[in-house]
This record gives sequence, C-alpha cells and structure tokens, in this order.
Amino acid sequence: MSGTTSKNGTNSAVSSMLYGSTFSAESIKVMAESIGVGSLSDDAAKELAEDVSCKIKKMVQDGWKCMLHAKRQKLSVKDIDTSLKVRNVEPQYGFVAKDFIPFRFASGGGRELHFTEDKEVDLSEITANSSVKIPLDLTLRTHWFVVEGIQPTVPENPPPLSKDSQFLDSVNPVIKLDQGLSKDAAGKPTTGKIHKLKNVETIHVKQLATHELSVEQQLYYKEITEACVGSDEPRRGEALQSLGSDPGLHEMLPRMCTFVAEGVKVNVVQNNLALLIYLMRMVRALLDNPSLYLEKYLHELIPSVMTCIVSKQLCMRPELDNHWALRDFASRLMAQICKTFNTLTNNLQTRVTRIFSKALQNDKTHLSSLYGSIAGLSELGGEVIKVFIVPRLKFISERIEPHLLGTSMSNTDKTAAGHIRAMLQKCCPPILKQMRNAPDIAEEYKNDFGFLGPSLCQAVIKVRNAPATSIVTVSSNTINTAPITSAAQTATTIGRVAIPCSQRQGSPVVTALPQIRAIQTSQPAQKFVIVTQNSPQQTQPKVVHRGSSPQTVVLSSANSTTASNSNSSGSSGAAASSSLLVGRNNDNSTLDPHSLIIETEIVRAPPEMDDLSHLE
Amino acid sequence: MSAEEINLDLNLDNKDVLAFVELLKKYELKNMGDLEQLYHIATNSCQSTESQKYVESYSRLRAFVEQSAPAYQAELSLVLYPILVQIYFKMISSESIEKARAFLKNNQSQLDGHHLTNLASLQHLFRPEDAAKSDYVSAMQTDKFGIRMCKDAYGLIMAHLQDPDQQLLADIAAKSLHFDVYEGMPRNKEQCLATSGSHIGEAKKQDNKKRVLFGVEKEPDLAAMLEEKNAAHMATTSAGGGNKRKSIKVSKSRKLEQDANVPPPGRIPLPALKDVDHLRQIQRLEDSGRQISLGRKQLPTALFYTIMNSNNGLTSAEISEDASMLACGLADGSVCIWSLTADKLLALKEAGELQRLHSAPEAMRACMLDESSGQKKRLLLGHKGPVYRVSFSPCQHLLVSCSEDCHIRLWSLQTWTCLVIYRGHVYPVWDVRFSPKGFYFVSCSYDKTARLWATNSHKSLRFFVGHLSDVDCVEFHPNTNYIATGSGDRTVRLWDVATAKSVRIMTGHKSSVMSLAFSNCGRFLASGSIDKNVIVWDVATGILVTTLVSHTHTVVALAFSRDNTMLATGGLGCRLALWDFKQIVLDYVSKMPNLCRDNNNIVGTKYLVNSYPSKETPFVTLRFSRQNLLLCVGYFKT
Repeated sequence: MSGTTSKNGTNSAVSSMLYGSTFSAESIKVMAESIGVGSLSDDAAKELAEDVSCKIKKMVQDGWKCMLHAKRQKLSVKDIDTSLKVRNVEPQYGFVAKDFIPFRFASGGGRELHFTEDKEVDLSEITANSSVKIPLDLTLRTHWFVVEGIQPTVPENPPPLSKDSQFLDSVNPVIKLDQGLSKDAAGKPTTGKIHKLKNVETIHVKQLATHELSVEQQLYYKEITEACVGSDEPRRGEALQSLGSDPGLHEMLPRMCTFVAEGVKVNVVQNNLALLIYLMRMVRALLDNPSLYLEKYLHELIPSVMTCIVSKQLCMRPELDNHWALRDFASRLMAQICKTFNTLTNNLQTRVTRIFSKALQNDKTHLSSLYGSIAGLSELGGEVIKVFIVPRLKFISERIEPHLLGTSMSNTDKTAAGHIRAMLQKCCPPILKQMRNAPDIAEEYKNDFGFLGPSLCQAVIKVRNAPATSIVTVSSNTINTAPITSAAQTATTIGRVAIPCSQRQGSPVVTALPQIRAIQTSQPAQKFVIVTQNSPQQTQPKVVHRGSSPQTVVLSSANSTTASNSNSSGSSGAAASSSLLVGRNNDNSTLDPHSLIIETEIVRAPPEMDDLSHLE
Repeated sequence: MSAEEINLDLNLDNKDVLAFVELLKKYELKNMGDLEQLYHIATNSCQSTESQKYVESYSRLRAFVEQSAPAYQAELSLVLYPILVQIYFKMISSESIEKARAFLKNNQSQLDGHHLTNLASLQHLFRPEDAAKSDYVSAMQTDKFGIRMCKDAYGLIMAHLQDPDQQLLADIAAKSLHFDVYEGMPRNKEQCLATSGSHIGEAKKQDNKKRVLFGVEKEPDLAAMLEEKNAAHMATTSAGGGNKRKSIKVSKSRKLEQDANVPPPGRIPLPALKDVDHLRQIQRLEDSGRQISLGRKQLPTALFYTIMNSNNGLTSAEISEDASMLACGLADGSVCIWSLTADKLLALKEAGELQRLHSAPEAMRACMLDESSGQKKRLLLGHKGPVYRVSFSPCQHLLVSCSEDCHIRLWSLQTWTCLVIYRGHVYPVWDVRFSPKGFYFVSCSYDKTARLWATNSHKSLRFFVGHLSDVDCVEFHPNTNYIATGSGDRTVRLWDVATAKSVRIMTGHKSSVMSLAFSNCGRFLASGSIDKNVIVWDVATGILVTTLVSHTHTVVALAFSRDNTMLATGGLGCRLALWDFKQIVLDYVSKMPNLCRDNNNIVGTKYLVNSYPSKETPFVTLRFSRQNLLLCVGYFKT
C-alpha cells in the first residue's frame, strides 16, 4: 500500500523504520525541480514533505476503504481515483493498470532513484492493430457447493485434498494422526457415521485408508480404464484429458496405479506394444494432473515405466515395430518422475541411474535393453551422460560393431544397433563438445570410443560449428505425445489390417447394462468386476472367422468360472484388471479360462492375429 | 564549554548531557558567543524536561501496573493505552515530534497487538492541526475513553494517580478517561481483550441502559390467513369489500397475546397492506412449511452462483427473499439482475395498453405484464460509480441501490427503470437495506451518518449520528423498529428508528465492521469484520455472546438459517463456515441467570460445524432460502 511513497537518502532510512515511509525533503526538491521550481528552501521542502506524506496516507486509507467495499483484496487505481473524488480532487484520468507496476531502481553518481517504467507507445501501431478483443459478458454459473454438509468433487469446487496436503501426507505420515476436524469430512462420500462420531466427541478414530469407492467412482474407473486401453482414439484422448486435469481423483489413484502396474506386467509378457503405449500415456496423464501427488505410488509406477524402457522385448516383431518410440517416451516419463519426486531421502534418481548403468556394464545385455538404458540415462541430463555413458562408449561400440558391419545374422540386432548408434550420436556430441578441446581428430575419437569414434567426431564438429541456439538440449522438459501416439496407432493398425467390419461385430463387446448391474451388486465395493468379455449372455465360446485366414480362432471369453474366480479371490483391481487384460489375449488355440499366466516361449501369432479390434 | 559545566548550569541528568554533547558537535558550536544557538538549545531542553516528565510518569504507571496483583493486572493494563495516546498528543502539541515518536516506539511493545494499527496511524501526525484529518485521532481527542473495571482495581488505580508525582497523569485521566466501575470479580486477560479494541474504549454503561423491544411479531397462522383470504374473497365477490375490514380486525384480536418484548404494532407507521401483499405472505408461509430443519445432524445444502467474467468488478450481490432473483452491483455503475427460476423477468405493458385492459381483478395482474418482454437477465444503468450495495423490497417490485456517486436510486422491477434518485449523502454511500416490511429503507455512508428514507418521500426521515468514523454497514431489525450499524470506529450500534437515538453500543471488534445480520428471533445480532472475526451480540443487553474465530480474511457475508439453528459466514478468504447457532444460544441462555456481564465464554471455535473452501471465489453474499437451502454468490477471481 505504500507504493506511492518513495524513500531516498540515507538519513530518512532510520526514521522511515520508525514512522512508516514518508517523503523526504530531498524528494520534494527533486519534484520541485522537475516542475521548474529551482530554489525551494529546506524548510519549505520539509513542510511540504510532511504535508504531502500525511495527505497521501489518508488518501491511500480511503482507497483501502473503497477496496474493501468493492470486496477485493487488491488496491486498484480506481480506488485511488475514488478517494481523490471524495476529496473533491479531479481524479487522474487515464492511469489504468491491469497489474501491479513495480518500482525500478537505478543508482549512479551517488544518487539513488526509484522510478516506474513509462514506455512510449506508438499510436499508429495501436490503431493498426484492429484485433482488440471485446471483453466477455458477465455470466452466471450455478453449481452445488455443498450437499447436506458434504462438498461434491466437481470441477467447480476445489479438489478435496490439495496437492500440498497430499505431499505432506506422503512425506510426513505423522500429520495424518493429528489431522484436524475440518479435513476429514470434506469430499469423502461417506455416510453419517463420521458425523455421528464427531457429534458425541468421542476419540477421533483414524480412518483406515478408504477402499470403498462410490458407485459413481467405480463407473468412472471402468469408463476411464476402458477408454484408455480401448482402440477409440478420440475417446482415449478424452479419458486421458480427464485423468490429466480432473480434481478429486486421488481416491482412485491407488487403483489407477495398480491398473497400470498390472497392465504392464501382463502386456510385457504378451509383447502387446499398443497397450503398453496406452498405459504409459496414462502414467503421463496422471503425472500431469495438477491436483495429484504420486509419490505414494511410485513403487508401482517406476517398475512399470522401467520395464517399458529396458525390457528385452516389447512387441511381436522387434525388427518391424517401433518399440523404440515407447522406450523413448518411457525414458522421458522416467526423467520427469525423477525430476519431480527426487529428494535427498528417497534418492530416486540415484537408484534409477544405477539400474541403467548396470545394464551398460553388463556385456550380456540384450541390445534392446542396452538401447533403453542409454535412452533412460540420456534423458536424465548432461551430467549423467558425461559420467555414465561417455566412459562406456567404447564398450558399446564393441557391442554394436559386429551387428552393424553385417557379421551378425539377426536382422533384429542390426536394427537395434542402428538405433543405439543414432541415439548416441544425438545425445553425446553436445557433451563431448564440452569435454574435449577444439581440434577434433577422428583418430583420437576412434582410439577413445572405438567403432563409433569417427561418426561421433563428425557430429561433434557439426555441433561446434552450429550456432549455440540450435544445440539440442538433451533433457527435454516437455514430453511430446505425438510420436508415441503415432507409434501406438501403427501398432494398432498393424493388428487389424484385414478385418472386415461385418465380421468384427463378432468380437465380444459387452453392453453396458449388465456390467453396471455387476458393479452394483458386488457388495464389497472394492471389487471391480470389469471383465469386458464376460457378458452373462455369452456363456458359449464364440467362433470368429477372420478375414481370409482359414484358421478358426476361438475367442474364449473368460466364462463364468473365471468370473466367479475373480469374485471370490477377493483381490481388488489387480486381479480384475489382469483378468481383463488377459482376456484380450487371443491365441490361436482355445484359451484355458484358468490360465492367467501365459508362457512367454509361445511363438507369437502372425501380425493379423494381433487383434485389437475387440477393444472397440 | 565542557560537559561538566552544562551539568552544573542546567542541572540535567547524564542522558541529557550526552544529548547536549551530541548537539554541540552537530552545530559545531565552538565559542560561547553564538548566543542564538545557545538559546535554541536552551528552549529545546526546557521542552524536553516537560516531555521527560511525561515519559517518567508513564514508566511509573507501567511499573505500577506490572507490579500489581496478577488478578487485577489485566484490567489495570487497560489504562495504559489511552494514557499513552494522550501523552503522545501532549508531546506533539509541544512540538517535540521526534521525542513523541520515540516515546511511542519505546512503549508500544507492551500493548496488545490490535492497538498497533492505531498507533501507526498516530505516527501519520506531523502537526497538532493534522489531528482533525483522522477519524481515529479526533475520536481519541474528543471522546472519553471507556474503561470497565471492578471496584478494587479502580481503587488501586485511583490511589496510584493521587500520588503527587503522577499529577500529570491524573489530569489526563480526569479529562479523557471514563471509568465504569462494577461490583464483582476482576476480569481476566481474554475477557478484557474481547470487548476492547474500539476507538472509544469499551461501551459505557449508560449507553446500553435503554430497553430494547427486540421481539418479533409472531407469524400469522397459515390456516387463519387462508380463512381470512377466503372470507375477504367471498366478501369482495358478494358485497364488494364491505366486510373485509371486519375480518381483518377479527384476526388482529386473535393475536393479541404477544410477549412483552414485541413493540406495539403501530410504533413504526406503515402503509396498509394490499391484497397482493397478503397473497405474497400466504405464499411465503406455504413455502416455509416445506422448510428443512437444520442442525449438526442435518447439515445444509448449498448452491453456489458464480459470477464469471466480472474482471473483479463485482462490488455487491443480493438474492431476493423468495430466491427468485439475483441482483449484482458492479464497479462500472450498472446493476445486473438475473432470474434464478424458470420465469423470465417480465416488464409491464405500455401505459396506453394498460388503460385498455378490462379483465377480472384476479387475472388483472397477469394481464398487465407483457409476455413478450421476458428476459433472463436485465441491466439497470444509472449510477456513475461502483454500486456498493443493492437491496430488494420485500414485495420484489422495487430495488434500491447505493453507489460511490453519493446517490441512492430506487428502481422499479416492473418497468425496469429508475424511479427516484435520493440525494442527501455527500460522500459515497456504503450500504443500503430495505426494511423487512417494505416502505422504509436505511442507508449509511462515508459521512459517518446513517439515514432513514421512505419510498414516498425524497427527503430522509431520520439521521443517525454518533459514529466516529464511516458507517460501513447497516441492517434492519426484523421488527423494523431498530437498525444496527457497523462502523470504522470498530463499534456496532443499535438505533431506535422511531427516535433516531442510539440504544446500544457494542465494542469488541478490532477493525472496521463490514457485515451485520439479525437472527430471525430478533434477539441476536452477528457482525463480521476486517479483523476476520464474527461476533454474536445479545441485542437485549448489549452483551457479547461469543466471538467466532476461523476465517482468515474479512468476513463480508453472514446469514442465519430460517429456523435459527445455523449461522453461515463467508468472506474474501474463499471459505464458507457453518456455525452451530443453536448451541451458541443454548450455552448462552444456560449461563444467563448468574451472568455477570462479562463472564461468558469469549472465543468459540467449538461452535464451528464445518467449513468449505471455494475455488478462487470470494463470497459476496449468502442467503438461506425459504426451504433453508443456502445460496451463495461470489465472483471468480481473474
């Protein structure tokens, strides 16, 4: 509020602490000079300074009153105008500022000056710029703020558990013990029980983690998970949007994380690239949600993401599918996780780095995993590249050399080696540029880095010559979904190349109704009976003819036995989601309803069998 | 000249010698001949002895208070602050500003925190003549500062002031302090703190002596109303209104057995009710039959109306009594009205068309409205400055608004035009409220007055003068006989509308009072303030019932539930708090029989039922609908 007063000189510094800020006589003199009064006596200046300070303070006080009556907390120029008007002084027209105008400071020649920046405005520019926006009209929006004492978690209301408290919750568990009265009732869709407890003022029994989800939340979970792994891209976009922005998801967070973790486990085994990509995009959305704090669930997420980076095989046809995109995307996710959640106590980044670098040390590492480790490390920043990748360059060179030079028989390995080389050439040169001095000699590079040396040398020279701005920053903050989306799409489209529409109807799509009933009837609310292929009507296995393929595929929906199994097993979303995902497996043979674990050695189905159409 | 010589000549103590030596250095006084300067120094020293005396007396007083028995300490320390301020004034008038400020600075740390803002405003003073410019300073100079004390403590302080050394302070005390002495136990620190803080100290006993008829006329019985209506209807259809008056008289005699606290019906003259008003009353009673009774077990449901795109320019909002309309006052001077029901806001037909209407009286009302004019939202333009408050008349046909342009405007909600401009206030008008029975409305302004107006006159009928700073808010008592005002002098006052006399002064807020609300029973008054607290007062006695502490910012909206069980408060802190008002009243009444004026529980956090945050949306107004649905209005901050 004392923005209108200014202090200069040192002698007033002490007094200003005493009496609040006042104009000094020097300021008055400077102002007098600026309007052409050259010789103002000291006494006059002092008198004026006191008078002006007093008046300005009163004016600001009146402005403050206007601000209060306008129900604001920020003083605006209008308020000062009003207080001028009250005093019968013509307001200062034209001084409209949207935001706070900061005082700038300058000093020189022993004098100090506080001033506001007053830019010159080019009028012709303003008149030429016709695209002035008309302000939006006042509108009225209505929502339920509280329903019978409980605040519903709609976007119009603030998230029930703020990110800060989620953070505190996960970092300092003691807080939960002495949680106040106000917090626990907010937003929890529980019934009168808690209130009653509070009324009689008995000891406040700490609630165990709420495992119960309301019917709405169960439906939401089902919708979201289905959409996220389904094949309807626009719908997935909406679902991810919801995951990434909706407040009040924290109650479902444990289930979402379990869903991802279990999904990754199952689909890595099945080499279902598309689904892995979808799951990683879910992780990304959860990370992006401003109202969620994932620290508590990292133990589930990190292994899943890690798997998607370094797994030996992520797809059916390693030589054709772009599983590299998944590895890159997951690496970026991992980097983001490390950046957000790394603390001195959890040593997250150190541990992640250790896993990657171990893979680099081992000469038996599969080339795909090697690629993943390099990708993961390279996303963690220049220092990590310098310490962990660069010293291993020679070793990596030795590993990929035979494949690239054609001595290897495997086409897969050759592609992998090519990708590794490309990756290294992308991430290493900027670092090498800093590590090594100017004359880049191909021979030296070859000595130091082996097979990759000469090409790296070329790249470094290129980087050196390029202007500083165009250097690719190694760790990108923003994660771009575009390539991964396209990768997922290719993965999906490959899967359903030759399936005519008419025949696709045969795939077990379940109508919504029985499922809802299933959810409502399953009494312990934590049980998710989301077995997509398990409609009550479909007790008979369905036979589907696919395209021109003579083979008969028997899609065994997990029949009643499975359903009862997962019901009685009592395990929560984990079992259910795995059965959901397993159910999607379509093998050439009839699926044994009880075998939830698929052997990995099975030779994968030909591409056209990698069917994702049932996800529609 | 050596330091010793000065010491001998002027008989000063060491401190002043040091000051002198400093001065000598400062003025580079090297020879004795410089008489003028010496004279200057001499006069300075004279004044400093005068102020020195004050400083010493004050420190003696402080020592006395600190060494007194702990039981009396809290009450005795109340004396410190007003005396400190008076000494400061004395020092300023003797032109030793620097000393006065140093004195203030050295002694302010012993005072309660809420005095500090006042002391800061004291420091704005440079000259004695500046005093008139500040409400606070003029209040301190002209009014006696009220202090309540038990008999024993009063005896102690008087004995101390009779000491000849403390003559200076005794003079100050006689001139500017007012002691209210009571029999009984001394109050403790919290109790003293609860009622202190206003510009005039604590309310004096004689201010709150008058009887307040706080009772509210009982709601007429719905069945009787219906019967009456039918009778009237029969009469009008058969005999043309001849029997109508009789039947009304009958009903009046029926509700004669009222309690003594209800003012007589004719105390405030009101125009006779029209048929429409009867219909409306019946509708209201029917609606309140569907009321949900609230409590800790049945928490209210709240609906939030968020004003979007206001660009922080929403200055006031008001929901009509039947929750059918929402009016918003905006910073640009316009008033915006929304229909909250499915009905559209209709306008009357043209005058010519109205004349041509021939229809049965019952259907007349509907015929008068132009169906084609329906709109969901209407804009009333006229004010030149921010509209600080709007208020619907109980008949819902009129709206009154007040603005920074010093005017109050009366609008018709049937023609959607301005009917009257009330000129009278000469400074911005902060608040305006319609009386619960219509016809009258009251306004308050920066000019430290509140005024009563009526819809049939353009002149104000009553002035309510007495506040020492702006009157920030005003509220009608549910029985229309009283108004309450909250002011920047940190007091809440109750005024009799009939006589325009102040009947209650209630102190306890530590900053300006921004909002007021009467309970529906008429006995209690809640006030919200910039000091973030809500205080509940007993209007019958002027006693502070409880201070509700939970908000983190100014409280600007208060609402009692229709069944008097809940108090909802909201403010700029974007948080709605619900308080168990039923429990507050129960606790208060159970203590009543042996209630020494100040021995009640002061700070009530235990009454907080729950609080709910809103998303970046400060609360501007709250209202319980007839069904006890809580309606909140706020603007989304941009």
